[in-house]
Amino acid sequence: MEYNVKQIKKGIKIHVLNTDKFKTNLVAIFLTTKLNRENVTKNALISMLLRRGSKNITTQEEISKKMEELYGASFDCGLDKTGDNQVLKFYIETINDGYLPKHSENILNVALKYLFDIVFNPYIENGGFKKEYVEQEKNTLEKRINGKKDNKSIYAINRCIEEMYKDNPYGLYRFGYVEDLDKIDEKGLYEYYKYLINSCKIDIFISGNCDKGIEKIIEADNNIRNLKERTADFIVPNIEKENNMEEKIVNESMEVTQGKLVLGLNLNIDNNDEKYIALMYNSIFGGSANSKLFQNVREKAHLAYVASSNYYRFKNIVIVNSGIEISNYEKALELIKKQIEEMKEGKFTEEEIENGKKGIIAAIKTISDEQDTGVTYYFGQELSGTNVSEEEYIKKIENITKEDIINVANKVKINTIYFLKN
Amino acid sequence: MQIIENSKVKEKLYIEKLENGLTVMIIPKPGMLKKYMIWGTNYGSNDNKFIVPGEENITEVPNGVAHFLEHKLFEQEDGTNSLDTLTALGVNANAYTTNDHTAYLFECTDNFYEAMDELMDYVQHPYFTDENVEKEKGIIGQEISMYDDSPEWRVYLNTLEAMYNKNPVKIDITGTIDTISKIDKEILYKCYNTFYHPSNMAIVISGDFKPEELLEEVKKRLVPNKPVGKIKRIFEKEEEKIVKPEIVEKLDVSNPIFTIGIKDIKGENDCDKKWIVKKQISMEILLNIILGRSSSLYQKLYKNGVILGTPSLDYEFGKDYAHVLITGVCSEPRNLYEEFKKRIEELKNNGINKEDFERLKKMIYGSYVKEYNDVQDISRMFLSDYFKGICSFDYLEEIESINVEYLEQLLKDVFKEEKMVISIVENE
Repeated sequence: MEYNVKQIKKGIKIHVLNTDKFKTNLVAIFLTTKLNRENVTKNALISMLLRRGSKNITTQEEISKKMEELYGASFDCGLDKTGDNQVLKFYIETINDGYLPKHSENILNVALKYLFDIVFNPYIENGGFKKEYVEQEKNTLEKRINGKKDNKSIYAINRCIEEMYKDNPYGLYRFGYVEDLDKIDEKGLYEYYKYLINSCKIDIFISGNCDKGIEKIIEADNNIRNLKERTADFIVPNIEKENNMEEKIVNESMEVTQGKLVLGLNLNIDNNDEKYIALMYNSIFGGSANSKLFQNVREKAHLAYVASSNYYRFKNIVIVNSGIEISNYEKALELIKKQIEEMKEGKFTEEEIENGKKGIIAAIKTISDEQDTGVTYYFGQELSGTNVSEEEYIKKIENITKEDIINVANKVKINTIYFLKN
Repeated sequence: MQIIENSKVKEKLYIEKLENGLTVMIIPKPGMLKKYMIWGTNYGSNDNKFIVPGEENITEVPNGVAHFLEHKLFEQEDGTNSLDTLTALGVNANAYTTNDHTAYLFECTDNFYEAMDELMDYVQHPYFTDENVEKEKGIIGQEISMYDDSPEWRVYLNTLEAMYNKNPVKIDITGTIDTISKIDKEILYKCYNTFYHPSNMAIVISGDFKPEELLEEVKKRLVPNKPVGKIKRIFEKEEEKIVKPEIVEKLDVSNPIFTIGIKDIKGENDCDKKWIVKKQISMEILLNIILGRSSSLYQKLYKNGVILGTPSLDYEFGKDYAHVLITGVCSEPRNLYEEFKKRIEELKNNGINKEDFERLKKMIYGSYVKEYNDVQDISRMFLSDYFKGICSFDYLEEIESINVEYLEQLLKDVFKEEKMVISIVENE
């Protein structure tokens, strides 16, 4: 795989991942903007609204038909919280021309035009978005926000993060808030959209077996030419410290058979290089089937089917996730805390470290074998302003020692203990 | 090895049936670092009643044994757990149980042969004790509770409950707390010895390999096995009619979830394999014509704010069942159900639009091509199709032969109101 990045205007970049490993080409547009309470709901609404129609493809039905016609090009939108940023994501995946039953026009180039039109050239009426579309999408978004309680495991994790970041943008729900919807109308939202498009960081990714001149084709597109250069308004993930705080305990009741116990841990690391160690820490602590959490909470104590942890590198936190019988709360919590302590005391073996390294290195090696993983990896690098190749990444993991991990383990503090019960 | 080549996706399948009856399939992916190996047995949650080769009496086991076995096989006599051993090698290991098969797998970039040693060792060496069987009941119990809270799982099971009277497809794959309490090591050994014979199993491997050399590596790791007779699986005859037209369950959900089920007459046992492939693709096209993203019905429901996102549209078939499942989130599921039935009548009367048909045929073709990006998708697809008697390449070839007339025939044969059920999960 060959990776090339080019800034076409200030704040706007094209990233090309050239590879012949796939049957498909993947195009992604990421719009990155600061996460804040004022705009979070508007951004969510815009990401949904743009799918409804562009200036040239005015209805959702028409967009769907055009995609189907291109041998089922999959058009998809997403909304992510990455550090203190909100990222609006738009994707098109097309079949590579070599695998079509008969020869047809270059599908990738056609799909690119459609995608640019959808994202940068929306359907406008009377100086605003189409009223009907806005009202319908507000309705859909409201249902979606209200639906955040439906998946109890994800809900519990989101609630724990919300408690950890009460007065911080990262505590915001990425789909926004129902009470904000009333204040939004089609004209105001369009004004905001124009502001967003002129100020956000724009990254265009192409992964696949594409023509050498693909950057030129993109640059020549009218929608791209019309974009202004900008000082992109986003937040580069930084190292934050959260030392002087009390351990918070939050209980919530809902109709559940199984209790969800979630712990939010702060990793108060000192520099970016310690992020690699934090990743290793998580791997040994709760990141795999060999981890202390899985082994002790699930395999030895049989308290849970799910007992794992995840490292959020943009915020330097680890979230412990478990589903337990409600009456086992004390037992499970004590056992999880014990694992945190044992990590501090260095109660893990060289073998566990080696195993953890193997797992992480294997994951790094798959970056070039999975189209979306490749795009996500390079976008993460882009946001952090780093340029670590897969080889360098592997080197950094290989060089981690037991002392390094103990050192990071001793910077870990429990921020919030969240329990969802009935 | 026999080589089957597909010119559409430009891939090759190497396939061989060994003397002991085991089928090995290899799909080489030159240049890929990822490697995937999956070993499956043609034995799933549906196989609860059978005659062991050489015996005369029928054996009937509690629900959930296939899944229980899947959990227990990882445990080794020396006290180690194969999942840990595999994870320690830096490979991603897992296992799963479906209605008709159970599979053990790993994905890796390095240490492939070490992982293969472990996988092939643990699948061939069960070790069950009274104690380790008891212990597993706690873990599986938590797994069952987790699914009990899942509205998606409840709405699915209720749909099957509404459609089927006797067919075991309606049973929860994990069993229930009650049924798993009846499982002991004797039952596990009996099922293991019956269904984990090489002649009832298949291995699929995909990655950057030389197939002939890889086949030798597989053979080296097989323990000798005597040939056995055929397993007789006993399925009670299922009536054609549905059990009840509607099941509603109250759960804490913000928006109602629905599944429309349509009970189809035949399972794969009764049919020619090419015919099944053709029917599967045709049903996918047809379902998209009725309620896909570009359909007039979906657009109407979406604009009215009734439906939240595109519903999933599936046609599933197994050894002795076949059904349609349409699942989505919708504020007025009963209204949607009426509109759905109305739309089907319209299509039956007015016929299918040729443009829609051609366009959606292209889309479905593309969806099959996309399956060939990843070693995992490829391996899983070839395994599950193999147990249904299908070579996955057939989908890419059969699609050409489908026409509007055939779809219109299916519309009449399958989409009958008296075969339809609806399952709803909604708030109190």
